[in-house]
Amino acid sequence: MPLAYSLPSNLSPATVTNTSSLLRIISLALISGAAIASRLFAVINFESIIHEFDPWFNYRATRVLAEKGFYAFWNWFDHTAWYPLGRVVGGTIYPGLMATSGVIYNVLHALNLPVDIRNICVLLAPGFSALTAWSTYMFTKEMKDESAGLLAAAFIGIAPGYISRSVAGSYDNEAIAIFLLMFTFYSWIKALKTGSAFFGTLTALFYFYMVAAWGGYAFITNMIPLHALTLILMGRFSSRLYVAYSSWYAIGTLASMQVPFVGFQPVRTSEHMAALGVFGLLQIVAFAELVRAHVSSKQFQSILFGSVIGIGLLGALAFGGLTYKGWIAPWTGRFYSLWDTGYAKKYIPIIASVSEHQPTAWPSFFMDLQFLIFLFPAGVVLCFRELRDEHVFVIIYAVVASYFAGVMVRLMLTLTPVVCVAAAVAFSSLLDTYIDPVEPEASDAAASPAEGTSAAGAAAAASDAGSSKKAKKAAAPDPGVASGILAAVAPSGSGPKSRGIFGLDTRGLVVFNALGMLLFFVLHCTYVTSSAYSSPSVVLASTNPDGSQHIIDDFREAYYWLRQNTPEDAVVMSWWDYGYQIAGMADRPTLVDNNTWNNTHIATVGKAMSSSEEVAYPILRKHDVDYVLVIFGGLIGYSGDDINKFLWMVRIAQGVWPEEIQEPNYFTPKGEYRIDDAAPATMKNSLMYKMSYYRFAELFGGNQAVDRVRGQQVPKTGPTLDYLDEAFTSENWIVRIYQVKKEDPLGRDLKAANAFANGKKRKKSKPLSRRRAVA
Amino acid sequence: MRFLRTLLFPLLALTSFALARSSTGDSVLVLLDPSLKKENYSIFFGDLEKKGYKLTFRSPKDTTPEIIKDDVAQFAHVVVFAPETKTFAADVTPQSLVSLLSKNMNLLLALSPKQTPLTSLASEFSLILPPPGTPLISHFPKRDTPATLIPVQPPRAHHVISDNLAPVWFSGVPQSLGHNPMLIPLLNAPPQAFASDADSDSGADALVEAAEKSGEGLWAGSSLSLVTGFQTLSNARATWVGGVEMFSDEYINKEISKGVKSGNRDFARDVTAWTFQESNVLRIDSVEHNLVNETLPGETYTINDQVTFTAFISKYDPEIGWWRAYSDIDDMQLEFTMLDPHIRTSLPPVEGEPGMYAVTFRVPDRHGVFKFNVDYKRKGWTYLTSTSMVPVVPPQHDGYPRFLSAAWPYYAGAFSTSAAFILFVALWLAGDDRELKKNKGAKAE
Repeated sequence: MPLAYSLPSNLSPATVTNTSSLLRIISLALISGAAIASRLFAVINFESIIHEFDPWFNYRATRVLAEKGFYAFWNWFDHTAWYPLGRVVGGTIYPGLMATSGVIYNVLHALNLPVDIRNICVLLAPGFSALTAWSTYMFTKEMKDESAGLLAAAFIGIAPGYISRSVAGSYDNEAIAIFLLMFTFYSWIKALKTGSAFFGTLTALFYFYMVAAWGGYAFITNMIPLHALTLILMGRFSSRLYVAYSSWYAIGTLASMQVPFVGFQPVRTSEHMAALGVFGLLQIVAFAELVRAHVSSKQFQSILFGSVIGIGLLGALAFGGLTYKGWIAPWTGRFYSLWDTGYAKKYIPIIASVSEHQPTAWPSFFMDLQFLIFLFPAGVVLCFRELRDEHVFVIIYAVVASYFAGVMVRLMLTLTPVVCVAAAVAFSSLLDTYIDPVEPEASDAAASPAEGTSAAGAAAAASDAGSSKKAKKAAAPDPGVASGILAAVAPSGSGPKSRGIFGLDTRGLVVFNALGMLLFFVLHCTYVTSSAYSSPSVVLASTNPDGSQHIIDDFREAYYWLRQNTPEDAVVMSWWDYGYQIAGMADRPTLVDNNTWNNTHIATVGKAMSSSEEVAYPILRKHDVDYVLVIFGGLIGYSGDDINKFLWMVRIAQGVWPEEIQEPNYFTPKGEYRIDDAAPATMKNSLMYKMSYYRFAELFGGNQAVDRVRGQQVPKTGPTLDYLDEAFTSENWIVRIYQVKKEDPLGRDLKAANAFANGKKRKKSKPLSRRRAVA
Repeated sequence: MRFLRTLLFPLLALTSFALARSSTGDSVLVLLDPSLKKENYSIFFGDLEKKGYKLTFRSPKDTTPEIIKDDVAQFAHVVVFAPETKTFAADVTPQSLVSLLSKNMNLLLALSPKQTPLTSLASEFSLILPPPGTPLISHFPKRDTPATLIPVQPPRAHHVISDNLAPVWFSGVPQSLGHNPMLIPLLNAPPQAFASDADSDSGADALVEAAEKSGEGLWAGSSLSLVTGFQTLSNARATWVGGVEMFSDEYINKEISKGVKSGNRDFARDVTAWTFQESNVLRIDSVEHNLVNETLPGETYTINDQVTFTAFISKYDPEIGWWRAYSDIDDMQLEFTMLDPHIRTSLPPVEGEPGMYAVTFRVPDRHGVFKFNVDYKRKGWTYLTSTSMVPVVPPQHDGYPRFLSAAWPYYAGAFSTSAAFILFVALWLAGDDRELKKNKGAKAE
């Protein structure tokens, strides 16, 4: 066979194998290093701090776990959250993340490494991203080969779609969940391939870990049954499938029921019924196989026909009946909102109000995945070409995850791994084809006068050449297969003899182009990671005119003010977004927080915020609120403030009190949302408006006050407050804290008391008439 | 702790015997208008000094001595006998008088039919005064004094005013009371009395007009109050007196009928005793809560626990100038509240334990942050409020009953399946299956 370039021929196969495995290990180590390093922008640019909102709760919970031990954590009743309802933390969280950190913490301390629990929490996500890269490698290796695996590992290591949830400090369930997801899938594929109960059990164990770690475990709960069902429908039922699925389902379900938060859900809710149904179906199919082995095929046909219909009907009836009787919980709202994107907005505004539950915008696909999103379909098509059992899995995963990623921004996270895998398969096929030195035996081609080397030698050479190019690919075990695939993908219509690439220039062009794509991918990922995904959002950064960085630290300033200046049991009311942060940083009881389990309680806060002071005051007193905290970005143009979220408060409150709160009242007659002079009276009288703009106009010293977020002019005479006192306003006015006044000692309403204190004359009152005069 | 109290009690009582009778302090500032001669009120002030109060006199227009210096109150009580003063010094504006109350100083204020800054202050206390220049008038009973000087019978069976006082002489302005529950009428007008212009009848038309407009809104009848007490939420006391003359030597010495002295002196004593927090002063010494049969207070309770709540209440005894355990409240209630009271039960005194009130109840089957609320508000008495917060938690993970009888079928199922499986494996492994294997192999081929 002619070769495009010469290969060394004096290498023994053992050397080649050893070198390639060494190179694989080195590459994986480098990939892990890159994955960790690219997540450290947040620590370097800011500091080692917990990010955003949810991580603050996880961090607080982890501290309890590290300080008081696992049992105290399990029984922890957090009486400062959801005041005065409290929260049974042990039974309402996925403890996997905290338990992982706790184990790491205890191991390090047992080794006399006194690492702060905060640093463990901050660096957990980058650490696990390295493991994710490794498990993606293992998974992709099952799909194609090691070189595709290394590519996939490199992709997942730096793909912004995954980095967005796993930078240092982003201490959230997703940080470890993606690793668990990929490893569960890998062991499932392995179990399915080998039919091994061991790998089935391993799948179940990692499934259990996943259930303990993230609510998204339902994705696995439905993916694996869907895969199994598809295989059955494709006529690919085998004892391997039976063993793998049964061992996973039986052990995994029992194990998952040990998580207190999950409890009996696996047998009681609709989301888990698919797995149970497929489990039952598998038993029936296996039984049918057994029967088929013993009866003639004609009898079997009729038995099968009758029983399939009968069992199907029975199963559906049983499911419907159980749902009707309430034994199986119907689908939850979050589930419906996956199918009908308008559902949440109509019925459960609390879910729709979360920004990460919004539908994904198109550009974010490119932003999060760059060129992988273009290679992704090619990879899926390549899976169709081969269509082994595991390829079916990737295809299903790709379809399902693409849909979900389109519905919710947040689920971009589950799409990223499969995109990386499919793109790696496609990309490695491309490289395999174009680096393969074997040229077709064409009569007119200027074949290089190379001696005929053995196939193994060629492969070794390919691996050498590949690894010298940035160590991204290892040995291609059977280049013939890869080129065969590619040839099949692009049918040329010619005979098998003319398949392949001619000359070095064509190869060079394509490979150079491909490497260019990789290079730009790296640049893109680095840029996006450093600019978009590494902001802690607790600390904000802006740029001074001279280019230096200016840190806006209002949140922590305000939270520490609360911590230092208020009594320990002072209840702070804020919109739920800030609940976890107040609990974590200010250590004060809050009314509502990011664990949005009680819609009514949140609506109560929404009502207090959107009503007038007179209406809100009794609510505040009833809930023992001492301080009210609002976020106001109008001064420095921080757009994520409470006035911009205000309509959600109104909507959520309206859901519970439709007579008292009506959304249209907060718009001008033209339907505009305004805060200037034209704002409607309801808006201007609302507590939120008053607290946001209280004394704002004074700041401008008689000039026209301008809200920089809304770009509107604020009325010169600002709102007045009778029932609240301004207690604290942070440097850039982002956080404003108000103290709720106590009842007037003379029993007047506070408005009258305030008017009196300001020296206003009261209207002369007449004695109370006790009955009507007789005319 | 209670032993300590009983030990300390007589000791402290001895040391404090020489001090004033009031529970809050003995310094009194008297803002006396120069037009009212101090000599004319010598009996009233003399009685106060005899009780142990240190009186400081000052004209309302003076600026020294300051009432509040460096944000610290310099006096425990302030008497404002300036019914006709139109301009006050800067520290006795209506606003600052209210702020005195929030600093727990007690006020005794005198009104007159004239319009003064105090008139507008009265409306902040839900007192509704008649128009200026309309004092209380009564033509009954027939007597030789002017119609504006009226003998008024003090109330009977009133827990602030002693029983069986002789009628008191009153002249001044009546007050109609608003809906404020903190008001305590100490002296009501006689049923035949009304407010009207005393000098001419021209003002009467205005009153009648006002009456016609607003129904029976006339300043008339026994619902009018002449001396009104007011206790703020922070338990400071303010008393509004319709006419300052009722404390004067003249009225005190004036006979009601032949040989019967007026009750003014005793009435003034009772009013000042209440205003200066000598009488009807209660306090909650401490509250405790614990599980039944335990003594240490619980930090948290589990749902359905049996919990005992105990409060110790004492009353101020002006005779000894110290607090005595007080067990005579029989209508106090305890609420166990989370947003709404989940339990509302009476908190009765414990027999044989002076000052101790206790109740035992079952914590509701609901977790959350609960509050033990005592909220005892009775007219004329110090408000007793106490709030202590306690989280009620669900049972610990190992706090639930185990080995339920209802679960026996499941235990039986689990163990029998395990046993059957082991048996099956044993049989499978022990059994000679070489032949079987051969058959199987043949079949597979």
